[in-house]
Amino acid sequence: MASILAVDDSASIRQAIKIALAGEGYSVAEAGDGAEGLAKAGGGGFDLIITDLNMPVMDGLTMIRQLRTKPAGTGVPILFLTTESDADIKAQAKAAGATGWLTKPFDPQQLVRIVKKVLAA
Amino acid sequence: MSSDPVAIFRQEAQDLLEQIEQGLLDLAGRPDDRDTVDAVFRALHTLKGSGAMFGFDALAAFTHHCESAFDRVRKGEVAATPDLVSAVLAAQDHMRALAEGREAPGAEGEALLARLRRAVDAAGAPGEAADAGPALTTWRIRFSLPADALANGTRPLPLLDELRDLGACQVTAVTDTIPSLDVLVPTECHLAWEVVLTTEHGRSAIEDVFIFVIDDMVLDIEALDAPAQDVEAAGGESAAIVSEAVETRAEPDGGDAKAARGGGETVRVPAERLDQLMDRVGELVIAQSRLKQLAAAGTEPLLRAVSEEIERLAAELRDTMMVVRMVPVGQLFGRFRRLIHDLARDTGKAIALTLEGEATELDKTVIERLADPLVHLIRNAADHGLETPEQRAAAGKPAAGTIALAARQSGAEVIITITDDGRGIDRARVRAKAEENGLITPDAVLNDQELLQLIFQPGFSTAQQVTSLSGRGVGMDVVKRTIEGLRGAIEVTSHIGEGSQIALRIPLTLAIIDGLLVRVGAARYVIPLAAVEECVELSLEQDLRSTGRSVITLRDRLVPFIRLRDLFATGTAPDPHQKVVIVATGQDRVGLVVDQILGDHQTVIKSLSRFHADVGTFSGATILGDGGVALILDVPHLVAAGQRHDAQLRAAG
Amino acid sequence: MSIAEAADTLQVLTFDLDGETFALDAGVVREVLDATAGTQVPGAPAFVDAVINFRGRIIPLADLRVAFGLDRRADNIDSRVVVIEYDLDGDATLIGLRTDKVHEVTEIAAGDLEAAPRVGMRWRSDFIRGLARREGDLIVLPDLDQIFLTRGGAVGAVVPLAPS
Repeated sequence: MASILAVDDSASIRQAIKIALAGEGYSVAEAGDGAEGLAKAGGGGFDLIITDLNMPVMDGLTMIRQLRTKPAGTGVPILFLTTESDADIKAQAKAAGATGWLTKPFDPQQLVRIVKKVLAA
Repeated sequence: MSSDPVAIFRQEAQDLLEQIEQGLLDLAGRPDDRDTVDAVFRALHTLKGSGAMFGFDALAAFTHHCESAFDRVRKGEVAATPDLVSAVLAAQDHMRALAEGREAPGAEGEALLARLRRAVDAAGAPGEAADAGPALTTWRIRFSLPADALANGTRPLPLLDELRDLGACQVTAVTDTIPSLDVLVPTECHLAWEVVLTTEHGRSAIEDVFIFVIDDMVLDIEALDAPAQDVEAAGGESAAIVSEAVETRAEPDGGDAKAARGGGETVRVPAERLDQLMDRVGELVIAQSRLKQLAAAGTEPLLRAVSEEIERLAAELRDTMMVVRMVPVGQLFGRFRRLIHDLARDTGKAIALTLEGEATELDKTVIERLADPLVHLIRNAADHGLETPEQRAAAGKPAAGTIALAARQSGAEVIITITDDGRGIDRARVRAKAEENGLITPDAVLNDQELLQLIFQPGFSTAQQVTSLSGRGVGMDVVKRTIEGLRGAIEVTSHIGEGSQIALRIPLTLAIIDGLLVRVGAARYVIPLAAVEECVELSLEQDLRSTGRSVITLRDRLVPFIRLRDLFATGTAPDPHQKVVIVATGQDRVGLVVDQILGDHQTVIKSLSRFHADVGTFSGATILGDGGVALILDVPHLVAAGQRHDAQLRAAG
Repeated sequence: MSIAEAADTLQVLTFDLDGETFALDAGVVREVLDATAGTQVPGAPAFVDAVINFRGRIIPLADLRVAFGLDRRADNIDSRVVVIEYDLDGDATLIGLRTDKVHEVTEIAAGDLEAAPRVGMRWRSDFIRGLARREGDLIVLPDLDQIFLTRGGAVGAVVPLAPS
């Protein structure tokens, strides 16, 4: 079953993601900031990364950019968390290499639907 | 961040519920307003989403039904009938209880949902072919992805799968643009696809599939039943047509984004943090004041220059802080619409609420403290002020009574008025009640204002009104005390048969004000500069001459004066060159005789403790640059005292 | 400290007023400062006729001697102001209390605390929470609630200022 990395400095968000996806059989690992996320994902091994943008130490956009320069980081779907009205951020994140997004707040079903959408069948 | 996410959610939930309530009340008056419908839907949607995210499953489940109902309204399938609006309004309290984690009986929830369902069914637009059999459309979809799509994690296969989920598909890969093998970069995407899809879904469902890549890709969706557009040969899509299609799609998005950001960005800040910031600014002002003293006393010209620069910056910072805490009064007024709605229902009277001056701003803490008193005054107007529809008809008045809330700024005050067009205050009854409760003796002589002010005396009304809002008695005396606690005043005007008006005068909270520092005896005092009109000398003869009436002539006017030295019983001898500081409130003036004027002083007002709160002469105190304390004079109080004393002397003399 | 033990002893700060020894619940004491005249507040009741600057805050300066009808003394080298934090009408308020001399924080056993006799006392019994005896000395525990409520017993607490 697919393995997912959730990167967010908010423990409750990581928890919410974990609970929603673990129910579908995905295994979810966590990271608390961009640097940790980069370290964990840089070696490959994840089928999907879900990340917040606003984090300490290293923010989401920087993490995505750096991850895309690594061979193991190319091609893996990356979803970022954003509020609905943030068109600018979506463009920036896409330019940085993100694949898609999740609008906050999300309910578990929405999360599962979008994850299934981007994960290779 | 160590803030509790659940607490943050609760705060957000309260805000959303308030928005929903306002929106519903708006819809009651304007059921066709699309923007309001969208706003209510969005708020319900967010509430459901957040609720689910933070484990408030019962709330999410319940809200889901309201959201679905409003989704149907949004799509035009169902009208926002009064019943539907009432049903969702009725559900507000239930949702609020769920959001707060309180007990919300399941039976109650069920009843509310049943009511909602009935309202929705009844509101279904007539002639709406609900499920008259799905209408199928065949679309030709052509799309190609940007070269870096694969590297950025986009998978074409899931996209095609999603299209297949929408209906029967014929997929053809378009290989025209694949470069030759020697220049091909395998991680780049050069494939395009053509899909013929037959589905009951609309164009937006197809666009949704590509939602993540739609801005970067080439996407052409053509309904094959529509009049044939220029069909290009498969392969090189006409860049012009396609880019046009993409552009027109891009515009609505851009427009929406702008609209969403229209009002300018805002940041949520916990009120506590603002208070802390305010305190820091206050301390800065004190320190800067010290610096100014030292710079003035010293001989270093550069120091003085820097001190002035800091003074300017501190002033600007202070002014900005004042504004930061200011909040439009409309925020408060908005809450009352629901109150009026409920009051009208409870009293059986028709009540119209008008609001004016909602943009008038007040300090945030002041607004919060005004909430309860205003609720009480409005209830009072509805309960006692307004007559029943029958009584009004008999009096030739329109059946619906009006309660008007207005706010306006006047000088250094904000004046909030609550006006009703009801029966007015019966003076005889007020008099009788006051005598009954021992507030005045039967033979006491009172003018109209004094009589009306008796309403605010503690003990005037022995029956404590238990309001459903507070559950405890909130009497008029508490209202008055709260207003006075804000250093404000209440005025009442009333005409029998026409109505009454209660005016609240609230001074703009100036935690930092400009003051005039003066010396009386050995102590220093501060007089708010805004109230100071001018300063004149009190010559020795004038001083000695005035026994009996103490007045000075100021450009053909007689202005009474008060010797602060005597008032404060300093026991010191007067300075040879005393000054008179002429202060005013409204049209009334009084001169304050001081020993010496020490200069301008920017002051951080600190309130006096309860022990000293009732010493009317002083409205607060401040810490001077040298650490000493100066009391701040309450100008209205002194002006009134001066006028009274002068009147007495005139009467006697 | 178990609940039973806590009820047995009272931690207090003892101090002198006009030669008599008084005691306050140590829990409410925030700081002990050198004595200062403070700034007079004309029109305030004699019990709290001044304010002082305490760390940037302006707090009332109260004199329990007024409440107990004792003579007020000029400040000397031993005089101190004890700053307490006390609940006044629901608000936690900082109040400075003038003292002639501050002694120490000590314990009084609950058993040693007696109620004040109704009559025959040098000062108002309603202002006294209790009396304790120690080594022959009488220690008075004032009832701050009552004293503050009545503004030190001043009737019609505030003297309205009349312009002359």
